[in-house]
Amino acid sequence: MPGIEPPAAAQRARGAALLAAHAAGGRTRIADLSMSGCAKLLFPRPAGPALDAVLLNASGGVTGGDRLALEVRAGPGAAARMTTQAAERVYRAPVSDAPGRVETALTVEAGAVLHWLPQETILFDGAALDRRLRIDMGGDARLIACEVLVFGRAAMGEVLRALRLRDRIDLRREGRLVFADRLRLEGDAAAALARAGVAGGAGAMASVLWAAPEAGARVDALRAALPATAGASALDSDLVFLRLLGRDGYALRKSLIPLLERLTETDLPRPWML
Amino acid sequence: MRAPMRRRTIIRMVLDPHLVLHQLFSPAFPVGAFAWSHGLEAAVQDGHIADATSAEAWLRDVLEHGAGWSDAVLCAQAAAGKNLRELVDLARALAPSAERRAETLEQGAAFAATVRAVWGADVPGAAYPVAVGAALRALDLPVDHGLRLYLQAFAANLCAACVRLVPLGQTDGQRITRALQPLCAALAARALAADLDDIGGFAPALDIASQRHEALHSRIFRS
Repeated sequence: MPGIEPPAAAQRARGAALLAAHAAGGRTRIADLSMSGCAKLLFPRPAGPALDAVLLNASGGVTGGDRLALEVRAGPGAAARMTTQAAERVYRAPVSDAPGRVETALTVEAGAVLHWLPQETILFDGAALDRRLRIDMGGDARLIACEVLVFGRAAMGEVLRALRLRDRIDLRREGRLVFADRLRLEGDAAAALARAGVAGGAGAMASVLWAAPEAGARVDALRAALPATAGASALDSDLVFLRLLGRDGYALRKSLIPLLERLTETDLPRPWML
Repeated sequence: MRAPMRRRTIIRMVLDPHLVLHQLFSPAFPVGAFAWSHGLEAAVQDGHIADATSAEAWLRDVLEHGAGWSDAVLCAQAAAGKNLRELVDLARALAPSAERRAETLEQGAAFAATVRAVWGADVPGAAYPVAVGAALRALDLPVDHGLRLYLQAFAANLCAACVRLVPLGQTDGQRITRALQPLCAALAARALAADLDDIGGFAPALDIASQRHEALHSRIFRS
C-alpha cells in the first residue's frame, strides 16, 4: 500500500554506549562511561551495593538499517544490574532494508556479578532484526541473563506474516565457548509458531542463562517452580539454561517475573514494574 | 606425507562409496542411536504427540526448525574441511540441554572411534554431525549423498522411537520416514550451499521437551 511505508530516505538510528563498573569501597561505581547517538544510560539511585543501570533507546524503537551497540564491563568483584527503560519495539522494515542490528557485549571479570535483564523485545509484523549478545566471563564470575521475544502486539490482534529474525547468544567462560544460541525465524512466523515442535501456538518466549558455581546443583528446585511450558537444564555444573513460552507477552511476564526474582533473590529493577 | 596419501588412494580404489555410506548410516553401525529420543519421550508424555499425524509433524519440526538443519550445516562445513576446531566447539555449545549435549557427543565419539578403528582414518571425537562430516572428508565419500543419509538416519531413528513410545505400527513408522524423504533431500541440498552463519532455527518447544525429559520419573530413553 503506497503511502504507508516511511520515506525511502528515512533516517537511520545510530547509538552506542559503554559502561565499565568497578568495585570500590564496598560498592560498585562507574569507572568509565560513554554514550553517543540514541543510546542513553541512566543511573537510578542504587538500592544496594550493586550498580543499577537503565538503557534507553531514544529513537523509540528499531527499524531497518538501525545500528545499536552496547558494551558493559563488570571489573573484578563488581556487581552491576542492567535493564531497559521500556520494551524495545522492532517496527516493520521495508523489505529492501538491511535488518536493524543490535550488538551487545558483556564482560564479567573474576568475582564479578552481572544481571542482564532487559525488558521484552516486541517484534511487529514485517520486523527485521539481526541481534548478537556476546558474554565473556571469568572463572568464578556470576551471571543471570534473560532475553524475551514477543511476536506481535497481541492486544491489537497482530499476526506476524513476515519476519526476518536472527538472534545469537555466545557465552564464553575463560575464553571457551560454553553455550551458543542461534535463533533464526524468517518468513511467516505465525504459521511456524503454531507448530507443536516450534512454539505450540505461544506468542512469547524467554531464554535465561544462569551461570554461577551453585547453579547446576539447584536446577531441580528451579524446575519445580516452572510451568509446563518451560524447561531448564544444567549444561554444566555452573551453567543452567532455561526456556519459557507464554501465550503472549502478558502471560509470559506472569511466570517470568517470579522466576527472575527467585534467581536474582531480589525485586526486579523498577522499570519492569512501571 | 607419503603413507597417508597411499592409504587414501587405496580406499578410493577398493571401496564402493555407496556401500560405505550405507554401512556408516545403517542402524547396525555402533553409535547407540536407539538409546536417544531427542526429547520425544517427554513430548509423548506431555501429550504433544499422540498419533502418526502428530508424530510426523513433530519430526518435520525437528528436521526443519530444530537440530536437523543446523546439524546438516555443521556436517557440510566439516566435510568441506572448514574451521574444524571452531565447529567442534560450536556444535557442543549449541545443545539446549545436558541430555541433548550427551546425545550428540556420545554418538559422535562412538562414530569416530569406529571409523578410526575400521578405516584407520583420522576422525576426531566431536559432536555427531561434525564427526560425520570429518569422516565423509577423510574417506573421500560423496558429501551430498552422505548428508541425505545422515538426515534420514536421524529421522528414521526418531521414527523408531515414536513406534515404541506413541505407540505406532511398524508400517506407520516407515510411512513417516518415507514422507520425510523430500525434506531430508531438500535440507541436505541447502546445507551444501550454506555457511556457518546460516546455522540456527527456532524450536523452543523442542528445547523445552529435551529439558523436561531430564526430570521425567520413568523413561526408556537417555534423552
